[in-house]
Amino acid sequence: MTGAALQLRLLWQRNAGLYGLYLLLIALLAVYAWLHPGLLSVAGVARFTQNWFPIAVVALAQTLIMLMGGIDLAIGATVSLGCVLAASWIGDSYGGAALGIALAVGVGAVIGGTVGAIVALLRIPAIVVTLAASFIIGGIALLVMPRPGGHVPAWLSDGLAGETPTALVLLLCLLVAWRILQATPLGQDINAAGNNPHGAFRSGVNVARARIVAYAISGALSAFAGVYVAAQTGSGDPIIGGPFILDSITAAVLGGVGFLGGIGAFRGAIAGSLLLAVMINVMFFLGFPPVAQYIAKGLIIVVAMGLRLLRER
Amino acid sequence: MSSSLKLALSCAACAIALTAMSTATSTPALALAKCMTGEREAPYTIGWANIYSIPTWMKQTQGTIEDVFSQLQEQGLTDELVVTDAEGNANTQITQIQSMIDADVDGIVVIAGSSTALDRVIAQACEKGIAVINVDSLVETDEITAKINTDSNMWGQLAAEWMVEQLGGKGKIIIMNGPAGVSVSEDRRAGATPVLEANPGIEVLTETNTPYNAAPAQEAMTSLLFQYPEIDGILSFGGALTAGAILAMDRQGRDVPPSTGENYRQFLELWSEKGFPGWATMQPNWLGGLGVYAAVKALEGEDIAAFVEVPLPIITDENLPEYLARAEDFPADGYIYSPYDLALFDEILGLK
Repeated sequence: MTGAALQLRLLWQRNAGLYGLYLLLIALLAVYAWLHPGLLSVAGVARFTQNWFPIAVVALAQTLIMLMGGIDLAIGATVSLGCVLAASWIGDSYGGAALGIALAVGVGAVIGGTVGAIVALLRIPAIVVTLAASFIIGGIALLVMPRPGGHVPAWLSDGLAGETPTALVLLLCLLVAWRILQATPLGQDINAAGNNPHGAFRSGVNVARARIVAYAISGALSAFAGVYVAAQTGSGDPIIGGPFILDSITAAVLGGVGFLGGIGAFRGAIAGSLLLAVMINVMFFLGFPPVAQYIAKGLIIVVAMGLRLLRER
Repeated sequence: MSSSLKLALSCAACAIALTAMSTATSTPALALAKCMTGEREAPYTIGWANIYSIPTWMKQTQGTIEDVFSQLQEQGLTDELVVTDAEGNANTQITQIQSMIDADVDGIVVIAGSSTALDRVIAQACEKGIAVINVDSLVETDEITAKINTDSNMWGQLAAEWMVEQLGGKGKIIIMNGPAGVSVSEDRRAGATPVLEANPGIEVLTETNTPYNAAPAQEAMTSLLFQYPEIDGILSFGGALTAGAILAMDRQGRDVPPSTGENYRQFLELWSEKGFPGWATMQPNWLGGLGVYAAVKALEGEDIAAFVEVPLPIITDENLPEYLARAEDFPADGYIYSPYDLALFDEILGLK
């Protein structure tokens, strides 16, 4: 067997569980484009991806934690905090905006790293630590901004969430950055610590450090999703992140990320989040009444999971 | 009470007149409502961007929307009603309003899941010449055809004034609020504050904060009853809250003192059954139906004021029987709203 063929086979096997989801996505996107031809334009893609983008980013944030065998219930609060910090800190100038975004994302990284340190060093289950953290972070978000308000300059809103598909480019950048990180020793440590923490530890990997870094990246991603929501909406809202907790977990699980750690990949989570995003639009254009939407959403999730499990047998 | 209501009404009328005048002076030829270009023609497609469809209040609101929609359909003014449910998620609501714009609906009625998050997508709809009417839970942006709501501050003020009058300016009361941090709840309470400050004879024993459901309110009141042997009045800012309080008092064999509340069916029935002095107002469900009507009127070229204040309907001992006579038409856990018709809507919108 040639190297290329082997490479192809490897690729096929690595994505094996996801083909059902990919097919479902292609079908739904085709239906969406058929019902709403405006999707097939630069502005159409831009509008769609900007609604999908925050879900995709929190799905990545959740995947990182789930790969570590944990689960992050603080994602929603971190999104809210990132959102209100962005709406408070982002200045009108280019430099002020960059600084504000960097600070908000930095706060997310510090919070994530702190949560990670508690999980990794004190050995308290992630679900407990992140639940507690969600109340603290959510409280801080309400302190920063007791009720919705703040301001994001219009040029930034239009640049990140306007007629140009900036969100799609950002998403691709995030995936490339993740690929690059995985090629570094630190990235390999993160993979190893998630896959087989005991084996990694015996092989000399600093598992605690790898975990803390993974949590810090996850926190930064969540805060960045919040920054994006602030730009998308032009303002801050201290409770807007709440629904992202469930969405992030659903997207990750749909994308084949396991609850026990080490199983799954970013591309799966991205596909899972895309399913959640496209579903809302397809059901709208099919004219489903709200009650039918609840049922259809449940059925689509069951089908997506079923296809994956059948394929894995 | 009635004087302040009249004041509120005349204020609203003034505001409408002023807006109409200013619009008239700036564009004398054609006074279209905000966002309107005059290009859209009947029959119109109307989108109802709901934040959450499950609570009974929301279902009843949707009922009035469907009712007004079909009345307008008979007149050939509307042809399709598109309904979405954001399941409480403001981000989903943005996506759904975006889809309504993509589908090029003519009008959108929205109850907002966030006072700021929808600003950009609503402004975008406005830019496309879509009539966007925001009712009940309002947004910040002014890039919208109209916002329609009652005055929550007035709600609290009127309730407190009635209570002061009932007690002759002297007595011990318990204040029952909705959840802390929720703007409706905070605004109703804030409206009562100046009235209570002006009447130092009214002693506030304590305050409760519970969700707008009878069970938690009953629980909160049950423990307070042991603590306070003498309660002269219950100043409640929610119908289900008062219903819970009355059930708690009833269980302990206490007489119900003068109580305020809302048009919640169970409260009205208890009020009539126990015969205590009562007072109630409401956030009328037909705000939804009024939203559809305002959207269609704006599309038809009528000028709609940027902000339309809906006067609070008041329920007293005199008109309580009228409300209870219609009780069977409403769900057991629902709200018996005041009657409405298109003529009332015209009057509120200052048309004709």
